[in-house]
Amino acid sequence: MIGAAELEAIEGLWKEGLEEAYEAYRPATQKLAGNDRDRVALAAALVEVALHLQRLGGRAAPAPDLLRGDLCLARASRLLADTRNQELQVAFARAIEELAATAAEERKPEPARERLLRAIEGVR
Amino acid sequence: MVRSRIAFRSSRQTEFLDLTGRLQQAVEEAGLLNGRVHLQSLHTTLGLAVNENEPLLLADLEAVLRRLVPSEATYLHDDFSLRSGVPVDEPANGHAHARNLLLQPSLTLLVEEGEVLVGQWQSVFAVELDGPRSRELAIQLEGEFARGRLDRTRRLIELELERQLHADPDPVGEPMRRLVEAGGKRFRPFLVLLTARLGPDYDPLRAATLAAAVELIHAATLVHDDYVDESPQRRGRPTVAAAEGPERAIAVGDYYFAKATRLIAELGNADVTATIAGAMEAICRAQIDDLDLRGRYPGAEEDYLRVVRGKTAALIAAACVAGAQLSGAPAEVVERVRRYGSSVGIAFQMTDDVVDFSEGSGKPMGQDIRERVLSLPLIYASESEALGAEIQQLLAGPLLDPDLRRVVDLVARSGALDRVNRKATSLVQVAVGELDGVDLDGVKTPLEEIAKSVVDRSA
Repeated sequence: MIGAAELEAIEGLWKEGLEEAYEAYRPATQKLAGNDRDRVALAAALVEVALHLQRLGGRAAPAPDLLRGDLCLARASRLLADTRNQELQVAFARAIEELAATAAEERKPEPARERLLRAIEGVR
Repeated sequence: MVRSRIAFRSSRQTEFLDLTGRLQQAVEEAGLLNGRVHLQSLHTTLGLAVNENEPLLLADLEAVLRRLVPSEATYLHDDFSLRSGVPVDEPANGHAHARNLLLQPSLTLLVEEGEVLVGQWQSVFAVELDGPRSRELAIQLEGEFARGRLDRTRRLIELELERQLHADPDPVGEPMRRLVEAGGKRFRPFLVLLTARLGPDYDPLRAATLAAAVELIHAATLVHDDYVDESPQRRGRPTVAAAEGPERAIAVGDYYFAKATRLIAELGNADVTATIAGAMEAICRAQIDDLDLRGRYPGAEEDYLRVVRGKTAALIAAACVAGAQLSGAPAEVVERVRRYGSSVGIAFQMTDDVVDFSEGSGKPMGQDIRERVLSLPLIYASESEALGAEIQQLLAGPLLDPDLRRVVDLVARSGALDRVNRKATSLVQVAVGELDGVDLDGVKTPLEEIAKSVVDRSA
């Protein structure tokens, strides 16, 4: 279940792509422990929406979108910290590092969803 | 090793002078954390002793000296007819020399955590045996000094940052290396490395990794902040956004947010990971708040404090907490350093605001006002009965260069800078007070110094 605290200050994003992304990640999280499934699906959705808001690899986002994106990334980190699953935390961080480095090289990054699904699926 | 002298004047012929406070002062001035202080009398009728400073006891001790070595006894030293080259003002003081045999010419005392180690009832006395006179003691301090530890800590931080940035892809690594190499106080990593000594599991290399990660998070927030604020310069150099474009700045910030998160996760301490993740969330939440408040510029003190708690204090407090958690420090110690870091963090931002009104901040003066960044001096100055109305009128306008200069001048004249400095100083006192009464294993003195250095920047 997604609590109000998870969407605080970014409520509007739920209907602007966050919900759809969350649902898209849920099947991949079924192998995780019960409490972690929603957290990880939401964390992945937040990362995806963050990178979209920030237009990573495209023209720079306006300041408010950049900051909302930063909050989404930070909240995803916190959700992953709540799982206390080190492997997942490292896998997500590596995914974002790769996507950001590719964007900095002015190459088109791999779609975030594919990369994040791979990160989740790679976790034992 | 540090050498010094303690000079004083006795007021009676026989007198016990308590020098414990003077020794403690010398230790603090030298920044001796752990080691020894040696003191030596430079006179033949001035001895040293450690005993209880209780007036009746001191009278007893004087009586013992008189009884064992009476002044009215015969001393060849006092028969000037038997001696050659006797100065005209030579006193008859054979008894004083003899009494000095009962005392010690030198003492060594231990220093732990910056404190001269004396028992509850012990005081260190210089014992005047032939006063009143001007006297001098030589002291030497040796051991671990705060300065030396801080220098080693700074080197460790720089090495670890260099190591972490070395292998990163150039499109992200180069801009970050330029930013990191441009300087910075390394305030947060210092706090990590100090608090990482507080528990039984202290490991300098793991602590250095955490310290570097915390600094990279801070640097990543600066990269994004500078784009949001449209700042042309940071640390006297073009910002990443100004030099490389905003698209690159966004990617660099994201990369180092993620890298820092990974470095922390790889340490394998879930509490540390949660602490830093919580701080990152608080920072980002406050940044959104900050941007929203720019429409109500200069805002109210309450808004300012809310934003500063998140934007600045959260990571500084988290640096203290995470270091302590990494070392397995007790919960009471973790909570104390959290409160210390929170107060220091708010004081740090307040002082930063004051520095923004001076030359040499690394940014053009008045830039924060132009960018409508929340600033406590501006909030206080706007409340001024005499000058506030003019400041608010100027802030409501286009803020051209002459307007900015006028605002800076009005803020200086309003007394707001002094008021903010006083507030920051009182927060530092609160922070230092948090360090009392807990076992901080030699870290108390450097933590106090760091807290005090926060407000010294504006002096």
